[in-house]
Amino acid sequence: MAVTATTVPLDVALRMLLNGTKMTITLSLLSIGLGFLIGLPVALMETYGNKALKYAAMVYEGTIRGIPLLAIYFIIFFSMPILIGFGLSPFWAAVVGLGIRSSAYQSQIFRSGIQAVDEGQIEAGLSLGMSKLQVIRHIVLPQALRFSIPAWMNEYVIVLKDTSIALAIGIVELTREATYLVSVTAEPFRYYGLAALFYLVMVLPLTYLANYMGRKYGIKGTGGASNVRL
Amino acid sequence: MSGSDRVLVVRNLTKKFGEKPVLRGVSFDVERGETKVIIGPSGAGKSTLLRCINRLIEPDSGEIIFNGENILERGVDIRKVRARIGFVFQHFNLFKHLTALENVKIGLKVVKGLSDEEAEEKAYKALKMVHLEEDAFHKYPAQLSGGQQQRVAIARALAMEPEIVLFDEPTSALDPQLAGEVLDVMRELAKKKVTMLVVTHEIGFALNAADEVLFFYDGVIWERGTPKDILYNPKRDETREFLKRIADLSVFGGE
Repeated sequence: MAVTATTVPLDVALRMLLNGTKMTITLSLLSIGLGFLIGLPVALMETYGNKALKYAAMVYEGTIRGIPLLAIYFIIFFSMPILIGFGLSPFWAAVVGLGIRSSAYQSQIFRSGIQAVDEGQIEAGLSLGMSKLQVIRHIVLPQALRFSIPAWMNEYVIVLKDTSIALAIGIVELTREATYLVSVTAEPFRYYGLAALFYLVMVLPLTYLANYMGRKYGIKGTGGASNVRL
Repeated sequence: MSGSDRVLVVRNLTKKFGEKPVLRGVSFDVERGETKVIIGPSGAGKSTLLRCINRLIEPDSGEIIFNGENILERGVDIRKVRARIGFVFQHFNLFKHLTALENVKIGLKVVKGLSDEEAEEKAYKALKMVHLEEDAFHKYPAQLSGGQQQRVAIARALAMEPEIVLFDEPTSALDPQLAGEVLDVMRELAKKKVTMLVVTHEIGFALNAADEVLFFYDGVIWERGTPKDILYNPKRDETREFLKRIADLSVFGGE
């Protein structure tokens, strides 16, 4: 059983990895966006909803967080066509799977952000004659979202890294490109190492971005949102 | 208007928290232009009473007649009522993401629908009225002293042009010097005949600014009268006992 290994010119390899990186970034942005669109309303439901809404939001959050991402992918990609008669393309299955998974974590992030706005400010808003919705819109959310910046940036880093799991449903992203290269060259250290470097290069600036956003958008005079951990 | 012009009439107000009765039939009036001070032991329900008046807390029974309308009745738009009742909190409760000026503007814009320019003009006036230093107008609450924060909170309430302002221990969270600047502003408002209902432990303020003092005890108005009557010659033992406990010569002595 002879393994025949070829070498791949560096510029070709880099071009492949860059292509994968593009997919990784696209997937991560769409997924974090979808997660935001679902996660924020879930957080609001859980904080301000009636009993039924609170319960529904809790069940959603708990269920999604309890299922491994790979299983979510398999359920969406392989089971949906059988269960409801139509499926999503691998790309959209990946976005939806990762987006839903992220929504459960984002809702937690926003919930703690919302709860960090003290009751007194809500009382003050209501006392001025604002409606509940106006208080949420003008008082709670502007602060809650700022409080959420560090944890949210952290969540984005997680989403970015977890796009790699989408290779299991056939998405050609960064890790998958590296796998191609390894299967052709039999040089795992070099190409997985390169892929790892690419991930790092994407992730590290996000730390600085998080700090910058923390300073720029943090609430003046308070400690502000500044620290993000990878 | 028959003789008196009552902004607020409270009748037999009751409220229980679980089994514990906090308000057991509270009745009193506030006339336009009057400063009424409520004193009484801590934890007795004075804050609850104020919060019932603008229905941040729903009372169990009784009547709250604000400008002739019972605001506990069905169909009352409580938001419209709240917009006409100012509320100043013990812990200021400024909006932390907004500057002093924006804190005053936001109610004018969001609730009253004023344009940015109109709101700014009124906010400036209100902040001047509480003597906020100009360089503090564009600072955030966390950058202001407690006394400045509370004065901004008073301006926020006044800018809405309320018919009555409720104060919930406005100086309890401040050290004496900062409390002084807030009390000075409140005395000026009293002189300007702003209608105020003030829960406070500041006996000095009660003495020289109040038209009437109510002693709140055991869920009811236990005793009421002119500041001198209540503070110097209380008729009931509980009032005397309470005053003895909080009596402090520095407070009684100073104007």
